[in-house]
Amino acid sequence: MSAVPLAALRGIVKRFGPVLANDHVSLDVRPGEVHAILGENGAGKSTAMQILYGLYRPDAGEIHWNGAPVAIADPADAIALGIGMVHQEFLLVPPMTVTENVVLGLREGRGPMLDRSGAAARLAAIAARHGLAVDPSARIAYLPIGVQQRVEILKLLYRDARLLILDEPTAVLTPQEKDALFATLRSLRAEGRSVVLVTHKLHEIMAIADRVTVMRGGRVIDTLDVAGTSERDLARRMVGREVVLRVARTPARPGAAALRVEALTARDAAGRATLRGIDLMLHAGEILGIAGVEGNGQSELAEALLGLLPVTGGRILLGREDITRRPVAARRARGMGFIPADRRGTGSITALSVAANAVLGEQRRHTRAGGMLLDRGAIVATAREIVAHFGVRTPNVALPAGKLSGGNLQKLVLGREVRRASRVLVVEQPTRGLDIGAVEAVWQALLAERDAGRAILMISAELDEIMNLADRIAVLFEGRLSTPLPADAVTREQLGLMMAGRDPAAHGRAA
Amino acid sequence: MAAPPDRRAASETPAAIAATMLLAALAAFAVAGLLFIPYGTDPLSAYAFLFAEAFGSLRGFGFTLVQATPLILIAQGTVLAWRAGLGYVGFEGCFVLGAAAAAWLALGGTPDGFPYALPPALFFPAVLALSFAAGAVWAGMIGVLRVRFRGNEVLTSLMANYVAAFIVQYLVSGPMRQPGSLPQTPRLPRDTWLPYLIPEARTHAGILIALVASGLVAVLLRATPTGYEIIASGINARAARYGGIPVARRQMLAILLAGGLAALAGLGAVLGVQHRLMDGLAGGAGFVGIVVALLARLDPLAVVPAAILYGGLEVGGAAMQRDTGVPSAVVFILESLVVLFILGSGLLRGWRLPLPWSGRWRATSRKAAE
Repeated sequence: MSAVPLAALRGIVKRFGPVLANDHVSLDVRPGEVHAILGENGAGKSTAMQILYGLYRPDAGEIHWNGAPVAIADPADAIALGIGMVHQEFLLVPPMTVTENVVLGLREGRGPMLDRSGAAARLAAIAARHGLAVDPSARIAYLPIGVQQRVEILKLLYRDARLLILDEPTAVLTPQEKDALFATLRSLRAEGRSVVLVTHKLHEIMAIADRVTVMRGGRVIDTLDVAGTSERDLARRMVGREVVLRVARTPARPGAAALRVEALTARDAAGRATLRGIDLMLHAGEILGIAGVEGNGQSELAEALLGLLPVTGGRILLGREDITRRPVAARRARGMGFIPADRRGTGSITALSVAANAVLGEQRRHTRAGGMLLDRGAIVATAREIVAHFGVRTPNVALPAGKLSGGNLQKLVLGREVRRASRVLVVEQPTRGLDIGAVEAVWQALLAERDAGRAILMISAELDEIMNLADRIAVLFEGRLSTPLPADAVTREQLGLMMAGRDPAAHGRAA
Repeated sequence: MAAPPDRRAASETPAAIAATMLLAALAAFAVAGLLFIPYGTDPLSAYAFLFAEAFGSLRGFGFTLVQATPLILIAQGTVLAWRAGLGYVGFEGCFVLGAAAAAWLALGGTPDGFPYALPPALFFPAVLALSFAAGAVWAGMIGVLRVRFRGNEVLTSLMANYVAAFIVQYLVSGPMRQPGSLPQTPRLPRDTWLPYLIPEARTHAGILIALVASGLVAVLLRATPTGYEIIASGINARAARYGGIPVARRQMLAILLAGGLAALAGLGAVLGVQHRLMDGLAGGAGFVGIVVALLARLDPLAVVPAAILYGGLEVGGAAMQRDTGVPSAVVFILESLVVLFILGSGLLRGWRLPLPWSGRWRATSRKAAE
């Protein structure tokens, strides 16, 4: 194709202190294409896109728009050109309506008054054209995450963005919502708009993208036509070596019951039921996978098990002991560990050092002088042990934990929890946002723990993860848990339907 | 991955912090220096006079230490409470109640105080404990409101200051009043006074209490598991709870200690300076102490020099007003500017100077050469 690219990066260099985040990055986005940017965490793909969107200024290099060099000093410049970005964390005002969020920052209508109905009508028209079903008068706070994402996309289209940058857009979606998003992206492409999809999910690239740019270590490795490549080929280019996307695993040898939950119920702050009678049995030496879209009680279940969320009914038994009313510290002391989904907000204290985080919850076991003083030496030793054993990439253990990449922070949290959880490990979205190399490491570590006889409850929205790791699978939907089935007795499609609250038996063969 | 739009991560190395704070302080002195000009005073010689008064002689430094003593104690209280994640500002109240408790015990054996006069060997340990306890209980009430009932501790502690001030006003105009005199207690017996370390400046032993307290706070926060738990609770209560830390208990501990330390500041004012209880004793120290803690970036070891600097500015400012007629309000403005500029200096750490040894300077000079 000889057409002038819509947007182009030319030799972009960006340094953060000693780190070269972008090393002469060049790429073209053509009009009317879906262009995927593939790379591990730390490959520089987010940095490149944030430069294009004006959040960072490059140290060297140029940005071209319709063939001419442009200066993008801040996002306002980018928006004025027609560049829009949907971040991973949505930037919406929850108490306000869809329309209000969309027109936020715009001057709508003539004169000082806001023309709300005119804006709503325009919005509805755009939404209809691209299959983005949204009620313009609904308040954001009450909308599911998938719909909120549509609002973010509508915000860009309302400003007539020619280039839409989507950062990991499918992380929070059900398979069905994902299909709807892809349909929207196809419709945008048909209109001649361009989409940049930042992702590390290979099958999504194969499903939707026209071209893909692979980045590694701050450099562009290659830009390829998706039609001429394969998942395996892309994975190899991304990590620079062959990777096994399926972990080798042996059949589980389940032992005694480690954790039993009976008729567990919980409510949120507003009094709505979040867990509606959960029953489950978890054995030593097995991984029970809990599939489901987030917001159906996943976090609540995990937090109730660890004691962070007060339950309104039911019992939790660790071995034979009833721990329903025991505090977090007591559960941890009895051999429970928890890897939360929110590794930066819950799983770690990002302002403290790697070493301090390595002993979070275990600070009383790293003391001297009869428990009076912290034993710095022991803390550093523990931290180094975790860093070495789980391959956490960090210059030293005094680094603030928040400066670690997502994958390395997760390995630190995992190492800490695995190190002490002798009996039950509750794992929530363990590989969210991690690159393939880190996913592989986390999966291997979880399997090793299983084989060492720990009972693992793995809550995940990723079907790949559930299918690859779990010995038995149950689905959590609207606070209820389905009966666990052996992993080889369910298909991906059945799980997808159950995650969306439908009975798989009604759609074809029964399980 | 959606990083907040900061273009340059702030450089938080110790050298960068020291350099920006020093620059900020110099800038504050420069701006405040303009205020001397209308009085016909040359700013440089005014500052020289100010610092000579505050730090130039043993006597001046003694006065400075007297000023710094309550500031150190209250700032350490602030460090504890704020590092635990509590916006506690009730130190004035703790100060005056700690002072009242100390005066009550010191007046032991008289109709205005404790029923018995204690021998000095018993009196000093007892008065420290009682005063500390008074402040701890007062602050602890706010702590319970916050930790158990989610009350806004900023508002409640602020209001509690007024209640405490009125309690003391009541005591000195009623039950503890010296007959027929101003609303104040009788003079405390000589052997209840804190001993003088520098007699000509009337520097009392309270500074030793403050220094010991500083050491203990530093050890608690930096070297003990309890300190780790307090800091974790303050930075991220959610993660602390996840780690099994009893957040509410750690916050209660921090606020009890904070209130107790502020009460010891009141003890120093009564047993070391005034030698009687009176209304308006705190004189704003409960708030200036917070400012000192902020100046020290909530670091217990940095509190001591920050408080001494602040105490010195007050001593020097008062002397300047006495000798040159420049109103001490100028010094208050200077103090405020120092704090404002230093708190604002964090912005500077997001900037990079093209210095000869940095990569950017080479890049720009190369460009200039082309």
